[in-house]
Amino acid sequence: MDINFRKIDIDAYDEDVLQESELYESDPRNPSQVLNEAKQKQTAVRSSLARNDIVGALKTVLQDAPYGPHTDEAKNVTLQTLLTILNSTKSTEIPGTIKQLSPDEQDTLMKYLYKGMAMPGWGDISGSVLLGWHEKLTEIAGTGCIVRTMTDRRIV
Amino acid sequence: MAPEVYNLAQTPIAAHAFNPDRTQLAASLNNNDVQIFERAGSEWIPTETLSEHDKLITSIDWAPTTNRIVTASQDRNAYVWQETPDPETGKLIWKPTLVVLRINRAATYVRWSPKEDKFAVASGARAICVCSFDSESNWWVSKQLKKPIRSTVLSVDWHPNNVLLAAGSADMKARVFSAYIKEVDERPAPSVWGSKLPFNTLCGEYSSPAGGWVHSVGFSPSGDVLAFASHDSSINIVYPGGPVIHNVRIPSLPLVTLTWTSESSIVAAGHDCQPFVFSGSEGGWQVVGSLDDTSGPKSDGGRSTGPVGRLKAGAFATFRDADSRGHSGLVSPSSADTKLLTVHQNTITSIRQYEGNGVQVAKVSTTGVDGTLVIWDANEIAAGNVNTVAGRMGSLSLR
Repeated sequence: MDINFRKIDIDAYDEDVLQESELYESDPRNPSQVLNEAKQKQTAVRSSLARNDIVGALKTVLQDAPYGPHTDEAKNVTLQTLLTILNSTKSTEIPGTIKQLSPDEQDTLMKYLYKGMAMPGWGDISGSVLLGWHEKLTEIAGTGCIVRTMTDRRIV
Repeated sequence: MAPEVYNLAQTPIAAHAFNPDRTQLAASLNNNDVQIFERAGSEWIPTETLSEHDKLITSIDWAPTTNRIVTASQDRNAYVWQETPDPETGKLIWKPTLVVLRINRAATYVRWSPKEDKFAVASGARAICVCSFDSESNWWVSKQLKKPIRSTVLSVDWHPNNVLLAAGSADMKARVFSAYIKEVDERPAPSVWGSKLPFNTLCGEYSSPAGGWVHSVGFSPSGDVLAFASHDSSINIVYPGGPVIHNVRIPSLPLVTLTWTSESSIVAAGHDCQPFVFSGSEGGWQVVGSLDDTSGPKSDGGRSTGPVGRLKAGAFATFRDADSRGHSGLVSPSSADTKLLTVHQNTITSIRQYEGNGVQVAKVSTTGVDGTLVIWDANEIAAGNVNTVAGRMGSLSLR
């Protein structure tokens, strides 16, 4: 996903340019492994949802979320899996669910909410569902959570 | 005791530094001059202006023992100012000495070393200049720390042993370097950071889990622990032995400046306009509250406002509010609508130790974008805030 606001590469002739990859630690897993894990999680989430275990499903999908280059397919699978969970949660259950997530998982959830909002019309994204989650998550995790989403170079 | 609030200017304060006995204050009021203020009762009166820089002064430090001021500016220069008698009148004036830094980007931050025989200038040229005085040629010599810095250095802090230097950088890393200068320093005793320390030794490199520019770094009073604040709304406390790194996230906006107030507590402030207090040990760290009591609106009555204090009422206040906050004031007398519940009305950009013995700090001073100087009692943590902050905060440790 292209999120850079500057469209001209002003560093084209700079030999000592700071590369994107130097700004975060790269994922030790290789892309195909990440994709396999994403697909396994999709299955695990389905069975969790069948048992009506929303917290468990969220924790599964938010753990070790794919980031970095060459993992677009895994990222899409994960987003799709997450959307299934978000769409099938009753709005009254959202605050309780979020409170059971760890700070790390809350930060990752916020990343996906923003990713979803940046892709209107993709898959079964529903703006109102995402905004509902966003409101509750901000109430619980604070604006700091949004700042971490914007700052973190490990883009999901 | 309520914090002392002084409105120094209607412009942002880029940097501030007190003289040794805290009767004078040097500040950069967002321009290329250093303004010296002198304390007169409950006011700060502008006295001298030190003009030599061409561009915005980004940082000021006042050496407590040798009474010298060092300034860093976006004009890529640093000046050391020394009070010397005027040859004609005999009056003491501040005399500048140019320091040739040899950098091609702005100087961003400057600090004297504990022994005051060196100072470090951070810069946008991916380098830190460590300057020491060469008495033979009678000038300041700059030696650069370059590797492995990949971007602008935003802050530095000296270790009490006068050799190690911590640096926070826009490449999302906090680093600890050796700034050992053969001509000046004695061989330092081995510490937790290492034992063999030639110039430019990298003793440690750390980053926050969610990344972000490292805005501020600080060694604990003993020098055995490093803390840094990064733009992911968190502070990290590093115990280099393990290394054990504690990451404390806050639910509010990022912190940009921090200082240690004892071996187990840190005060940090930033875009949330209030100084947060953190406390902990090697076992773990957490937010314990804020120095600012934000439970109710601040009354304007108790504020001393500098030279314009007596003009604060009526029409003057109306026009000043319109100018500084874009607030018309014509609607109603309730200016509370646009007023934050914090003492500072905008981002706090600098926090410094004001009173203490170096190990235990009793008071800290803050300045920010709102042009206000506030002196806080570092041990008076607003109780009303503890629950709300601690309840919402998240902490995790990394090993």
